[in-house]
Amino acid sequence: MTLDYLYTLITFSNIFIILSLSLNVLIGYAGQVSLGHAAFFGIGAYTSAVLAVKFGLGYGTTLLLSVLIGGFFGFLLGLPSLRVRHDFLVLATIGLNFVVVALFKYIDFFGGPYGIIGLPAAKFFGKELGTGGYALYTAFWVVIVILLMIYIEKIYLRYGFEAIRENEDAAESIGVSVPLFKIYAFTISGALAGLAGNLWAYQMGMVFPDDFSFPVSITILTMVVLGGVGTISGPILGAVLLTFLPELLRFIQDYRLLLYGIIIVIVMMYQPSGLLGRQGILRKAFKR
Amino acid sequence: MQIVINALVLGSVYVLISIGLTLIYGILRILHIAHAGIYTLGAFLGLTFYALTGNFWLALILSMVLTGIAGVGVYSYIYRRVLSKERIVPLVISIGLFIAMQDLYRLIWGAYKKPFALDLGINDIKGKGFVITQHQILILSLTGISLILLYLLMNKTKLGKAMKACADDLVMAGALGINVERVVSFAFFLGSALAALAGVLIGVYENNVYPTMGDEVSYKAFVVIVLGGFGSLSGAVVAGFILSFAETLLVAWKGFLLPRDAIAFLVMILVLMFKPEGLFRRAST
Amino acid sequence: MLRVIDVSKSFGGLQALKGVSFEVEEGRIHALIGPNGAGKTTMFNIINGFLKPTSGRVEFLGRRISGLPPHRIALMGIARTFQIVRTFPEMSVIENVLAGMGKEIYRSWGVFFKTPWNQENVKKALELLRLCGLEDLKDFAASTLPIGLQRKLEIARALATSPKLLLLDEPASGLNDQETAELAELFRKIRDFGVTILFIEHDMRFTMGVADFVTVLDYGEKIAEGKPKEVSRNPRVIEAYLGTGSEISA
Repeated sequence: MTLDYLYTLITFSNIFIILSLSLNVLIGYAGQVSLGHAAFFGIGAYTSAVLAVKFGLGYGTTLLLSVLIGGFFGFLLGLPSLRVRHDFLVLATIGLNFVVVALFKYIDFFGGPYGIIGLPAAKFFGKELGTGGYALYTAFWVVIVILLMIYIEKIYLRYGFEAIRENEDAAESIGVSVPLFKIYAFTISGALAGLAGNLWAYQMGMVFPDDFSFPVSITILTMVVLGGVGTISGPILGAVLLTFLPELLRFIQDYRLLLYGIIIVIVMMYQPSGLLGRQGILRKAFKR
Repeated sequence: MQIVINALVLGSVYVLISIGLTLIYGILRILHIAHAGIYTLGAFLGLTFYALTGNFWLALILSMVLTGIAGVGVYSYIYRRVLSKERIVPLVISIGLFIAMQDLYRLIWGAYKKPFALDLGINDIKGKGFVITQHQILILSLTGISLILLYLLMNKTKLGKAMKACADDLVMAGALGINVERVVSFAFFLGSALAALAGVLIGVYENNVYPTMGDEVSYKAFVVIVLGGFGSLSGAVVAGFILSFAETLLVAWKGFLLPRDAIAFLVMILVLMFKPEGLFRRAST
Repeated sequence: MLRVIDVSKSFGGLQALKGVSFEVEEGRIHALIGPNGAGKTTMFNIINGFLKPTSGRVEFLGRRISGLPPHRIALMGIARTFQIVRTFPEMSVIENVLAGMGKEIYRSWGVFFKTPWNQENVKKALELLRLCGLEDLKDFAASTLPIGLQRKLEIARALATSPKLLLLDEPASGLNDQETAELAELFRKIRDFGVTILFIEHDMRFTMGVADFVTVLDYGEKIAEGKPKEVSRNPRVIEAYLGTGSEISA
């Protein structure tokens, strides 16, 4: 494994940490199970790609707009969630993922099936970062997002989220507006996914519709659930594990996906709250 | 006319797959994504037994029975143990299972498309401006027979009524002395066998079988059960045909902005938002 | 304080409430009783906004509240508990109460800046827990409590919203004799805090012992109201209860 390759993996892992933490706001805190998170990831990445390639905007601007537009679409696409619950929401978000990817694929403005290529490297004070520098830069954002999560856990927002997750009627009865808090969750989640999208687009230098298709949503959900829904450390562990696991399993290359699937099934059967979840073995091991 | 026939054929397959999902969702409220893996298993087993025995009908029946048993296995070794957990747990398990199944098939049967050449020795029916191929005749007649048998099973037998009772209220059904375990196992058997039938038929129709053939099916079938109203068999049947007709017509009428998959999902989202009980109310209530 | 005016509610073809009117006066412990299926919980759901009446209206402190979303009604000062307890199971006992203290913050930007864990809140939460006898259990997850204690926790959480009117749906169900006696004591303490109580109950001994005023529903209609003694002698009430096989004793 070359050093460059390791840096690239670290960057991917960082991006997926941000994605799984952002999905965790939705699932773990607010209890809204979404299987279409890659759509927001894609919206962020395409925002950056379109703005940088077609309009020649600089990195700072595209970063800001990716977050804002990601958040805006989170808000917009969260609106249907006000009418749809539980399994229906899962299905609706799957549908959403397909529709968004189809729009990328079939609208020429977004480059069609061949995507958008030729993003310039991100520049900071006129300088380009190398692969290692970019890995460090994404790690900086991971730290920011983790701090944000720690902050969220302390404020009323978290209590409102937990209330609607655990019982919507009881939440309303103590003055929590269920629609408002769902919208908060979708907006925050969308904005953070937008950030991840920006980081991805500049890492790759190009975006393709299939980078944001349904299987990617599955991967993100798996990271969150495997690590431990509703915790901060869980989704981080899940993202790191599932980014590096395929690499570690390289020596049994041919059985990778099979093992991947079996691991998911076994962990879920015997550790349903996730490895670092409230009843997870790893959590208990650390506490001792 | 040709369009109608094509749509009927496509719809038949949607319906056969959706029946299992509908039964399982109706009773256990599990989104059984791995059902698409079961369908693929059916296709591979059918192909394998056909190659071994040379007898299509024997291969079909063997495939349906074995796939049905595999479905029961998925229930009793996996789902049954996590039913009391949060709903997201069986959902994620189902996804993991689907991934593992597809890769297992790749390891066993290879990653590439395998032809499923079958000549039944029936003549194609040719009319003015349309042809019904022998494979289409096979699909339409087997689907028709299955649906009639299913109707009789659900409405005329004790087992069928027990299944309906379980779908209405699992706990109550248990309290009334229905052997819930057996009924649920049977629902998995039946649903999986019908998925196997669909898999074999599609394999024959498209003349190929491959590990990821369940991908499109895995989510398309959910559109059907949403449109049909969760858990309603008759609704799923009608919805399966509506979806196939809508898709076939849209493909025939070019110039539409979105591909047909996206349309199916757009319609699904709208239905979920504005008519969450599905387009058809549940027949049993 | 609360006026229910000619409220009807139908579900499909089924009429759950037929033109019911009654008034809850400030400072009272007011019981809403009736045989199963009389429409009591439906009435609660209409008062606190989960359901909209088919016709008629509800006024609270002189303002119309029917049609408002439940969180707005909570904000105006109506809190409630549920027939099937709905605590927040994964939160600790004290967190359940703290979560109840944010009704004004939940609708403002304060949700992004304020924490419920300030000294004043914690002090008030501990007081409420002491009142409900849960102080020693404050750090346990709500789901680990037996059902009787969860009912008390639900009351503590409802009180945390600083309500003027508290709606309690079958607070004594599932409680043993001793717990029921403690509950009656708690009712009086709550009233002494200046909180009016409207409650639904099946336990007649408890109801007749603690209530100042009783309204009786049967098949969605009000058939009697008055002081407990008057109501328990009312022939229509006796008939309604005998007709369903329940027994009434005061």
